[in-house]
Amino acid sequence: MKQAKLRKKFRVGQLILILIMGLFILTILIPLLHIVAKSLSDPAQSAQMKGLEILPRGFSFINYQIIMSNPVLVPSLITSVFITVVGTALNMLLTISAAYVLTRPNLVGKRAFMVFFIIMMLFDPGLVPEYFVVKDLGLIGSRWSVILALAVNVYYLIIMMRYFEEIPPSIYEAAKIDGAGHIRTLFSIATPLCRSGIATLTMFYAVVRWNEYLRSGVYISKLKDSVLQVVLRKFLVEGDTTTLIGAQNLLNYNELAKIDYTALSYAVIVIAIIPILVLFPLVLKYYTKDVMAGGVKG
Amino acid sequence: MNDRQLSVSRRDRWKAALKQMRTDKILYVLIAPTILYFIIFRVWPIWNMRMAFFNYKARGPWEWAGLKYFHMVFSTSAFTDILKNTLIISFMKYILLFPFFVLFAILLNEIRSRRARNTIQAVSYLPHLLSWVVIAGIWISFLNPSSGAVNQVLGWFGAGPYDFMTSKGAIRWVLFFSEAWRSLGWDSIIFFTAIINISPDLFEAADMDGANRAQVIRAIILPALVIPMTTVFILNLGFFMTAGFDQVFNFTNPAVNSVVDILDTYIYRLGLDNGQYSLACAVSLIKGGVGLILVLLTHVTSKRLTGQGVW
Repeated sequence: MKQAKLRKKFRVGQLILILIMGLFILTILIPLLHIVAKSLSDPAQSAQMKGLEILPRGFSFINYQIIMSNPVLVPSLITSVFITVVGTALNMLLTISAAYVLTRPNLVGKRAFMVFFIIMMLFDPGLVPEYFVVKDLGLIGSRWSVILALAVNVYYLIIMMRYFEEIPPSIYEAAKIDGAGHIRTLFSIATPLCRSGIATLTMFYAVVRWNEYLRSGVYISKLKDSVLQVVLRKFLVEGDTTTLIGAQNLLNYNELAKIDYTALSYAVIVIAIIPILVLFPLVLKYYTKDVMAGGVKG
Repeated sequence: MNDRQLSVSRRDRWKAALKQMRTDKILYVLIAPTILYFIIFRVWPIWNMRMAFFNYKARGPWEWAGLKYFHMVFSTSAFTDILKNTLIISFMKYILLFPFFVLFAILLNEIRSRRARNTIQAVSYLPHLLSWVVIAGIWISFLNPSSGAVNQVLGWFGAGPYDFMTSKGAIRWVLFFSEAWRSLGWDSIIFFTAIINISPDLFEAADMDGANRAQVIRAIILPALVIPMTTVFILNLGFFMTAGFDQVFNFTNPAVNSVVDILDTYIYRLGLDNGQYSLACAVSLIKGGVGLILVLLTHVTSKRLTGQGVW
């Protein structure tokens, strides 16, 4: 009797708990689903949609068609992909190399290097003095400005070092006895052993690269050479509807009056979120698992 | 005799180090690009900050200006307001919000159903991976006075509609809640990890003593969270002068800018919109100086309290 009462009380507690947490989750899911739904709705009906509606009214790809024929958006999408892929590759190459070097036990000058990196982490001069460096290097207007300016993140470098430190020293010794040099040890022994660390950091860097808008906006001033996030910011934050439609589209679509600008900008949000959703399961698989298993790494 | 021995051993050490460096030549080649990167994109900009003491000229040498720009910073009334905004927003985001991260981790741990717990956890991470541009877009839509979900719900209770994004009284709370929305899941990982690493023996013992959940939380879970709480809390103090540029930069609009304008947005506007490079660098140096003192204080206090520093 007492047991049953206790269990009932327990169940009520759990129900309230899941309800509270579920409410928080809904504040994340509803706005996201609403944006997807509205971007896929029939433009004639989408303007009347309320924020809690998560199913499209009517169904149409017209918003995506307009966006994809926009003369600014498609090049920016390509630039974003280029910067993300090349930039992340550069990030990983430098981060892996430096982390490997800094975890060698007999390295002369290790302390000096670490002090240097920590000072670099603490002093953030900000964008204005960096702008002058980019200008002096002649990189203004080039996508390489953004790629090079964010080449290594000290926090991520330290995380990579933790992964290399976890490899037992005996493995390195065995490699040395077998006559493997540092380059070979790094690429055919250490790197494959740190697969989950490399996966985690690749995702972190890729997310940072994909989401970057500030430097791209400042260094690459022409909108048509810029990245998706900068174009998106123009639509969403600055409310620029002319660019959103694209000058050529003005001539091509005679049903322009029917277009719902909000739904159109939501289609761009969806395009900006898709790569994150693709990476998301991997983040859950590697990062979360590692963090739970081995204490805090991030 | 003693002196000679010492110098010999020192020379031997140098010799050994040099020999080690020669065998490890390739390691220095591997780390060189990273060092070069920091010299170009960190050391060089830091050197450029001397602009704060000069009148900038695009051509020809800069003119020495002494502390002119620092006087200018402190003499403008804008600076006091901006400093106040920075401190208020930091207080809300780093101190007021802080207990909710701990609460989220504790509540998450209380959920018995594994499936529910994993789902809630996974979804809660998602906003952290979105860019601030996208988050601003989502929140502008979410808070829209005529069609947004928030005003729709408020309407059920006969309240509203409110235009939160353009209200001076509400915008800082919009920053607070959107920060919570973005970070509650991700930033509570550290606390959740500390909870699941508690020895199961402790919970069993508590069970045997007939402790209820509230007692378990008070006597077992909270004590285990003291160390990560101290670390995170003190680390947050180091961010106090920053207050989150990206968020403000994307959430601000002319109607509310006077109450959310922070040091970093001010520096951006001075330097990159108005071309007042020297003034921007002077504000940067003041901000950086105070920030650095905060970080160092943080580090020393943290080392003393928990034995764990920032690095």
